[in-house]
Amino acid sequence: MESLVLSKNKLPELINKISSEHILYGPTEENNYSSFKQILNFDEMNLSYLLSRVSPKSILFKQTETLFKFIPGRKGSVKSSEIPEEKSVIFAIRPCDARSFSILDGVFNGDYEDPFYISKRKNTVLIGLTCNKPEQNCFCTTFDDSPGSSKNLDILLTELNNNYLVEVVTEKGNNLLKNMRSLLKEASKEEIQERKEIEEHAISTINRKMNLEGIVPKLDKMFDHELWHNTAFKCIGCGICTFLCPTCHCFDMQDEGTLKEGARIRVWDSCMYPEYTHHASGHNPRPARMNRVRNRVYHKFSYFPKNEDVTACTGCARCIDYCPVNIDIIDVIDKVGAILIE
Amino acid sequence: MVDQKLLVEEVKKIVSQEDVKYVIGYKKGTYGFAISPAFAYSPEYVDKFIFNPLCKKNLAVYPILEEKLPLKKGEKADTRKIGVIVKGCDSRALNQIIQEKGQKRENLVIIGIPCTGVIDQKKIISKFPNVTDYTDIEEKNGNYKISINGEVHNIPKEELLADFCTSCVAPNPVIYDILIGDEVEPWEPQEHNNLKELNEKTIEEKWAYWEEHFQRCIRCYACREACPLCYCKECMADMLTPQWIRRSVNLSENTAWNIMRAYHLAGRCVGCGECESVCPVNIPLMELNKQIENDVKEMFNYTAGMDVDEKPLFGMFRPDDPEEFIL
Repeated sequence: MESLVLSKNKLPELINKISSEHILYGPTEENNYSSFKQILNFDEMNLSYLLSRVSPKSILFKQTETLFKFIPGRKGSVKSSEIPEEKSVIFAIRPCDARSFSILDGVFNGDYEDPFYISKRKNTVLIGLTCNKPEQNCFCTTFDDSPGSSKNLDILLTELNNNYLVEVVTEKGNNLLKNMRSLLKEASKEEIQERKEIEEHAISTINRKMNLEGIVPKLDKMFDHELWHNTAFKCIGCGICTFLCPTCHCFDMQDEGTLKEGARIRVWDSCMYPEYTHHASGHNPRPARMNRVRNRVYHKFSYFPKNEDVTACTGCARCIDYCPVNIDIIDVIDKVGAILIE
Repeated sequence: MVDQKLLVEEVKKIVSQEDVKYVIGYKKGTYGFAISPAFAYSPEYVDKFIFNPLCKKNLAVYPILEEKLPLKKGEKADTRKIGVIVKGCDSRALNQIIQEKGQKRENLVIIGIPCTGVIDQKKIISKFPNVTDYTDIEEKNGNYKISINGEVHNIPKEELLADFCTSCVAPNPVIYDILIGDEVEPWEPQEHNNLKELNEKTIEEKWAYWEEHFQRCIRCYACREACPLCYCKECMADMLTPQWIRRSVNLSENTAWNIMRAYHLAGRCVGCGECESVCPVNIPLMELNKQIENDVKEMFNYTAGMDVDEKPLFGMFRPDDPEEFIL
């Protein structure tokens, strides 16, 4: 891994250079929160927020995706949507959000290969930004991740006193920076040390931790435990946790159109809605909030680890921060751990 | 300020009653300034109950959420009452629900708390980020006294007060079985936020304003779920035959959703502000609701949820109702 240095005042130049050749997504501020948007000019960006409100999964796995268009009837036809091929860059993505893509890869590039996700994933360079100041509910370290981890990134930037330390992690990252070498210089030993200290300091400020030991086999024995009823009792059944979550990926498919033309669309769905499992017969296998809250926990902490060998959680804490009724996933898993089962 | 001891004492008495299933109240949340709804089935659990200016959540949503699953053979329906702690606005929501026959008055034990306004979570978190522990929040002489890690901060009330509280018309519960503490002096309701400015805009400007807000709606329906008065068995947003609102998340469908919801709350919204405070993308939904509330007041001289014996606005007719909007 190559370590370079970018002076802070050169960042706008770097960004504008990238955006001239790529579709560049970066964090912007609007209405007092941060969201990833396409950036045309450096000034549109706001790097002061830790996390975007909605996770950047929405760039690779769009909330609404048109799969194909059709004309109904005997002489009808189907026209596939074009698979996006444009080169893009996600700038200032946090390490935890970058990790969510390696979790989502198992879903969209596993047994079933989703051409939309795969193409976007292949053509997107991830430039991360180290979290110098994690927030109170951050718990990425639970998953052997770190606020300064470069594991799932192509390039990682860390804000030092006067510069950014630029770590080029992958070949993809290296190619992106090819024409921008003049803006960068070799990092000194001190600068690499400073970056290390920043990461260590950030890790030391993370207060919360989830104890995952033995959770998968434990959950196998707890399907009918009263914990699920008690936890779900305060759930109001909104979709905030699932829609803000970087790893939630369930979707619904619908045909929308008129008698003359239509489109099959894929939209985010939420397992917190009763409608999510509502059968055409009228039967609902998850009739109560208890069934739905339990399913969300099991999907992330039991089924996913069993199928994909990884917990479907990054520790970003969005679900904790924005749950209107304080359903705290760390608290839930800790309770699972604390319950004694014969 | 509510006497904590009195609250716990009274709620314990209610939970102990044989005809009461559980009481819904507030307890400290799992981190920082978070507050969690709490359900007490036994008097011992009530020791966890608190009430402070952070207890914003409208608990009137819960009796409606109570799920009635099909009974097993030989099983009898549990008809015991549900106790619920309410502030002024929350009690108006209950009134409204009872008027609409969504709940039966005799199935509820209503524990009223006179309210002097609640703190906006978003405001306090931006003022004190990363607070892991606080001991207490007290309102004193127009200030909030907050003890964080042993340090006491005095913050002027208006800096943290939730916006919708300034336009509150009923700080004291309007329906209750028992009131904890003495009634508070109501304040002069103010015009909500920038509603006045918004009203001075042209129709095109207003449209542009709302387009800007609706285009970022992610349709998580948290506004609907948090609202005590959004309790239709099947929401029009979920209907498929016919499908009133398409699932595509775009400006057109988002606008349809938000405007239809606002209209369905006309003459029903009690101004508790839950929808706006839970919205993850900060859509100022209360501006819509307040405008409709003002219109309803002006046209029909009606305020939702003030009197349990009144009929719902759209469930009654007066010969002198205005008709100028009928074409």
